[in-house]
Amino acid sequence: MQITQPLAETAERRRENLLVRIVRRLADSRELTLFVLVVALALAMSIVYPNNFPTASNMRAVLLNLAPVGMLVCGMMLLMIGGTFDLSVGSTLAFSGVWAGVVAGWWGWPAESAVLVGILVGALCGLVNGLIVTRIGINALIATLGTLTIYRSLTYVTAGTGVTPISDAFAAYGRAADPLFRIQSPFWAMLVLVLVGGWLVARTRFFRQFYFIGGNPRAAQLSGIRVDRLILIGFVIMGALAGLAGVLGAARLNSAVVNAGVGIELKVITATVLGGASLKGGEGTILGGILGVLFIALIENAMIINAIGVFWQGLVVGLVLLFAVSLDRFKTSGRA
Amino acid sequence: MAPRLEINGLSKFFPGVRALDDVSMNVEAGEIRALLGENGAGKSTLGKIVAGVYSRDQGTVLVDGAEIGTLDEKAAGDLGIGIVHQEGSLVPQLSVAENIFAGRQPTQWLGQVNVRAMREQAKALIAQLGVAIDPALKVSALSPAQAQIVEIAKALSRDLRILILDEPTAALTLTETEKLFDVVRRLAGNGVSVIYVSHRLAEIFALCHSVTVLKDGRLAGTRKVAETSTDELIRLMVGRDVHFSRSPAGRKIGDVVLQAQNVDAPPLVRSASITVRAGEIVCLAGLIGSGRSEFCEAIFGARRRHGGSVRIGGTAIDPKGPWDGKHAGIGMVPEDRKAAGLFLGMDIVNNVAATVLSRVSSGANFSNRKAEALARNFVDELRIATPSVHQIVGNLSGGNQQKVLLAKWLAMEPRLLIVDEPTRGVDVGARSEIYRLLRALADKGVALLVVSSDLPEVLALADRIVVMAEGRTVGELPGDGASEEQVLRLATRYTASVAEVRNQADMAEA
Ligand SMILES: Nc1ncnc2c1ncn2[C@@H]1O[C@H](COP(=O)(O)OP(=O)(O)OP(=O)(O)O)[C@@H](O)[C@H]1O
Ligand SMILES: [Mg+2]
Repeated sequence: MQITQPLAETAERRRENLLVRIVRRLADSRELTLFVLVVALALAMSIVYPNNFPTASNMRAVLLNLAPVGMLVCGMMLLMIGGTFDLSVGSTLAFSGVWAGVVAGWWGWPAESAVLVGILVGALCGLVNGLIVTRIGINALIATLGTLTIYRSLTYVTAGTGVTPISDAFAAYGRAADPLFRIQSPFWAMLVLVLVGGWLVARTRFFRQFYFIGGNPRAAQLSGIRVDRLILIGFVIMGALAGLAGVLGAARLNSAVVNAGVGIELKVITATVLGGASLKGGEGTILGGILGVLFIALIENAMIINAIGVFWQGLVVGLVLLFAVSLDRFKTSGRA
Repeated sequence: MAPRLEINGLSKFFPGVRALDDVSMNVEAGEIRALLGENGAGKSTLGKIVAGVYSRDQGTVLVDGAEIGTLDEKAAGDLGIGIVHQEGSLVPQLSVAENIFAGRQPTQWLGQVNVRAMREQAKALIAQLGVAIDPALKVSALSPAQAQIVEIAKALSRDLRILILDEPTAALTLTETEKLFDVVRRLAGNGVSVIYVSHRLAEIFALCHSVTVLKDGRLAGTRKVAETSTDELIRLMVGRDVHFSRSPAGRKIGDVVLQAQNVDAPPLVRSASITVRAGEIVCLAGLIGSGRSEFCEAIFGARRRHGGSVRIGGTAIDPKGPWDGKHAGIGMVPEDRKAAGLFLGMDIVNNVAATVLSRVSSGANFSNRKAEALARNFVDELRIATPSVHQIVGNLSGGNQQKVLLAKWLAMEPRLLIVDEPTRGVDVGARSEIYRLLRALADKGVALLVVSSDLPEVLALADRIVVMAEGRTVGELPGDGASEEQVLRLATRYTASVAEVRNQADMAEA
């Protein structure tokens, strides 16, 4: 073998036209691709809908709406980096929200404890998922498909049609807004999570282990990485994040809705894969995930402004997903 | 008459690498042609191009005088070109028989797979190689050696004109290797051309008619085996002389580091004991299925131990998992680098860092800079041929992958290093480097336990040889002055047949 960087490179170059080169460059970094797409989309929308899109109220609505998905993407990205995933997040979200509602609304506990209980219930749901996957060894798809229905059913059993209203003190947690932009707390919570989570996953030794697990679980195990324990922790984090999203959502509406988060898992997984996670594991960043969320949110917003029916949204999001994933085929590091 | 296979001016580029550069060669019908070269010389790439796995960038390939255009694996198979890949290509979840007949299962009415016929035929193909493997077993339940045999059987299941064997014996012991040779000779006798890639020169002299040497992707020369010598081949390959001498005696042997007694880890390890001292290289020899790897795994904590004791530096340990073994200062380079050793989709930096995450971190932070420095050190020290430390390990040649695997465990600086097959698929030059490296480790006072199926390797490395058979340690020889016959005699004395051990093991598992 010869390491003939310049020679081979030029040979390679000559055979590629400019377009392929640009595509390849973009495909090499999913974050960059998405960032360009998001900026381009936002610019295009500002030009096409100058009265509807770049307004403060529309921005506020977009950012607030993407908050729950954004929180969940942090956990889902971690799990998918580790080569697994959780379908039960929507049910966990509702179950946690309802428990917070029950505690604050029906039992009259202080709001702080209700928030805490909600998050703990979420973490507990995650723990159960994790135990089923790691201890019993049931495949994550089946395990969390099962708990998806179980948690949803438990939600109905707990609160029937939901808890409305909960309490003003509790609602304040979801409605507090910053003085400058006047965006409510779920968005800020998500922002903090993305920043802290993004740093943790990208930089720390502890979370780096998830990349190894996703890359090759057996090799990770034999390298002395505690695979099962980490996957369990990943599920607990995922659950706690779903719990937080559920609690803040319930607080913002001052109402714990039993149907909260139905179908959200698909949106979350779409954003995660769009953001660079691979179903095989070992790849992805939180930054990519959140860009994925942003991208989907923009597309949805465009359709709302255009008054295109919700029925079409799925089609567009699906096409975008397929397009972004097919970019992988252009990666230079891929197999020849 | 046109040669069976004619390659003209073949070139292949990968990003940053010229894997093949204007290579031409002819192989006649019935000829067994060895393909030699250092790690990364382009042997596997050449094989894969002929077998339709990779496309070629320049050059032509002719089979029986007819030029073949771009072809894929299926088309190559239909042309009668079979390949046994170095890195394995079996689907672990499927049975042995299904793997052998992948996509071409014998069918009965309505296209139903005729399972019985498929298993019968699979059994016959495997029996040809002198081994008994139940065709209904899942591939994931096989040892690497058995999996290798299934790979070969798979290639043999077609009507062949050209058979490419890419390091088929790397996982095999002497007995199985000889069975394979018989089969290859028989095929060649029937007019099949064989391209045989191996790093074991002795095999080439035993089996092949002619040999083509590649160096850095270029043709270095083609010779008749009868008219060449080991020294000439090594010179063509490496460009210098390489010698495998035994390590000079007189290394300081220190205190006992590993003392394992009556280790029992069913089904394959019954009662095995071993002692390794600081600065000592102990080789564990034995046939396939004798429980060597499993014994090592039980010491390391990768396999549950049911009885016996393991002491490291006098302290009894009871590892619940590899992390405990690692914590006690044990490192283990596993046998199967693809499935158990490497993170093939990640770069060299991350692979090397996997065992030493805390060392390449500042506080809680993973430090890319430290990890890169560490990886760069090993790339230099082990002479890993790669365009950069950020190369994806799956893109390296097999031998260079093995070096990365070794680096990963050297990085951890273990007290006891267990190496299962240290030079599988490693070229002569690198092999002598790895020997030098292992010896240097021993000189530094590391205790080394080496499992090897390559007897010359055992004899070159070992201070002491421990032989296993049927899950028991059955004997011990001093490394100095031992002969292959002595080792083999010990290894086979207690074993009626390898197949029998396997059968018993399967029964115990059921
Ligand atoms: N898919 C790929 N992408 C990038 N580079 C590759 C790829 N496959 C092979 N190479 C490079 O091409 C060169 C030749 O590799 P090849 O696998 O043919 O070597 P080899 O002679 O079989 O070596 P070994 O004895 O170690 O198996 C190596 O430098 C390798 O890194
Ligand atoms: Mg090779």
